Amino acid sequence: MSEVMISVEGLGKEYHLGGNKGLDLRGGLKRNTKALLGRSQGSFWALKDVSFNVERGDALGIIGRNGAGKSTLLKLLSRITMPTTGRFSINGRVSSLLEVGTGFHPELSGRENIFLNGTILGMRRAEVKQKLDEIVEFSGVERFLENPVKHYSSGQKVRLAFAVAAHLEPEVLIIDEVLAVGDLEFQRKCLGKMKDVTSNGRTILFVSHNMSAINSLCKRCMLLSDGMVEAEGDTRTIINRYVHFNDDAPTGLREFSEKTPTRDGAASLRSMRWVDLSGNTISRSKVTDALGLEITYEVHKAGVRPQPVIFLHNSEGDLVFTSFAGLDAPLGQGLGTHCTILRFPPDLFNEDTYYVSIWLTTWLPHTVHQVQENVMNIQIMDDLNSSTRSPSHYVIKGALRPRFTWDIIPV
Amino acid sequence: MSMRIEVDAKRWKPIPDLRELLAHRDLFLTLAYRDIRVRYAQTFLGFAWALVQPMATLLIMILVFDRAVKVDTAGLPYSLFAITGISAWAYFAYVLKESGNSIIGAQEMVRKIYFPRIIIPLSKATVGLVDLSVALLVMAALFVYHQVVPGPNALLAIPYLLGIMLASVSTGIWISALTIRFRDLQHVVPFLIQFGLFVTPVAYPAQLVSKALPQWAQVLYFLNPMAGLIEGYRWSLLGVGDPGGLCLLSYAATLFLAITSLLYFRSVERFIADLV
Repeated sequence: MSEVMISVEGLGKEYHLGGNKGLDLRGGLKRNTKALLGRSQGSFWALKDVSFNVERGDALGIIGRNGAGKSTLLKLLSRITMPTTGRFSINGRVSSLLEVGTGFHPELSGRENIFLNGTILGMRRAEVKQKLDEIVEFSGVERFLENPVKHYSSGQKVRLAFAVAAHLEPEVLIIDEVLAVGDLEFQRKCLGKMKDVTSNGRTILFVSHNMSAINSLCKRCMLLSDGMVEAEGDTRTIINRYVHFNDDAPTGLREFSEKTPTRDGAASLRSMRWVDLSGNTISRSKVTDALGLEITYEVHKAGVRPQPVIFLHNSEGDLVFTSFAGLDAPLGQGLGTHCTILRFPPDLFNEDTYYVSIWLTTWLPHTVHQVQENVMNIQIMDDLNSSTRSPSHYVIKGALRPRFTWDIIPV
Repeated sequence: MSMRIEVDAKRWKPIPDLRELLAHRDLFLTLAYRDIRVRYAQTFLGFAWALVQPMATLLIMILVFDRAVKVDTAGLPYSLFAITGISAWAYFAYVLKESGNSIIGAQEMVRKIYFPRIIIPLSKATVGLVDLSVALLVMAALFVYHQVVPGPNALLAIPYLLGIMLASVSTGIWISALTIRFRDLQHVVPFLIQFGLFVTPVAYPAQLVSKALPQWAQVLYFLNPMAGLIEGYRWSLLGVGDPGGLCLLSYAATLFLAITSLLYFRSVERFIADLV
């Protein structure tokens, strides 16, 4: 017996470029007159012609690189935004969890926030009341229940938020990358809870960068690429295809125009790109592969000796490290274009997306020529069969995952 | 609870879905409760703030319009005359101010979860009822203090008050929807409230305007929904003024605002998450 719970047909979402966000009055008028004149400011399709079905009790994993349209798809199915083309229907009560703790208010107590978050996620007040004890127990913050949430640690907040989410009883559950938060034990508790959900005949749609979480939860998987369905099928097949998939889109390249502002005009960035060992541009890499960041910049003024300073942040926003060649490195001497590659060894990064900020700096006298925050990112993936992965852990925590030597000392 | 969700890019209903709104009433109540709690949490005076505002406004109006300008209130104590206007106007101003920023303020939620977006301005309007109730208590106290008995039409104050709420909520919905597209409106709203106080019979009787202005200006004056509503509200309680005539324009304007606000909000609702 199979009943289609989610049916999606030709779903597409078009975004207009050029000031769709935060329009001001002038922008709005300009746009309207442009629309009247039939001139478009350009648009792009975040999602294009996506069709699939999910049956009752199934869990469908959705994977793809950053910008492939995963989040857009979930936003459409959650009805947060409307599709430009196509249609879908969902047969039953839906809860979507694109974030844990949506609507949490720091001034309110834990108890009040449980009610707030619960009703935001679609529960009735009576339902929350009925499950309150269970939720509180699952969260493990009983003692602080009457304290304002602003006094909670971030871990406690996440636990409380997840406890609420875990007690939703929807027929269809839509989840975006929420397992990245919380400690290991708690994550396993949550994955366990989600497995219960599917075994109870409920349906799950799950987006994650974490291949092992997808693998443990979903039998079927869909790979999105540039807003379109690239492949769909058995999870292991799709994941392997994704991890070993040749990168063709050069999103790992970032070029700077002459107009990119500098602080003093003495030196400016030309381009940056992620490269593999053979020098090909990449936008993602495996934990076990070496990679490099190639930076090309130009010196416009004689006498300055700029060199790039790289700041690398992980997806949680923590600064993982700062790297530069150093005072005595013979970088960037003389007018004209310079190029340097920052090389990273294999087994350094963890499974995550890392974000690069760059400062073009001369050390003596200390001058910053150009600052570009968050200019590009790289997605580091893990092979399912990687030997650095412990089989029982879904996530290996840590900003980095270096491979150290473990010597055996005979005793 | 079994439901079926269908979304089609080609089919879209311009009429707001009341059933869906009703299904989200718990969320509406919770959000309103949150805003009330948060509004007075950790302030030194707490709920007393709801009392301070109308009292301060009343005081300044007594000084300016009663003592200095000596406005003619047909023999009624000025404080009683003014508090009827103030209670209504303060609510209108509060709803406008809060609605303007409401959706941008809730953008985190709007981007992460679905619910009928109109709940946001509606819950803000509900929070304003706390202040309105306090202002009405001040009014009641002034009735007792001046030993004035409300006129024979006092019960009509209820529909007038409902009309004032409708006008406030509708304007609020309009502004909240417009602010999504045009952030500039955030700066216009305080100006609108300040300006509105002068062209609404809050501190002075509407007759003052009718006597001094040409016909066309009077029509403009009463196209302001609050003008006729406050005049009628005061008439029902104190028996001064004339709730007919040009005031009918205000009632029509209120209805017009109410209907168009719902339709306009509905039309931008689909894109709120893309715009904020």
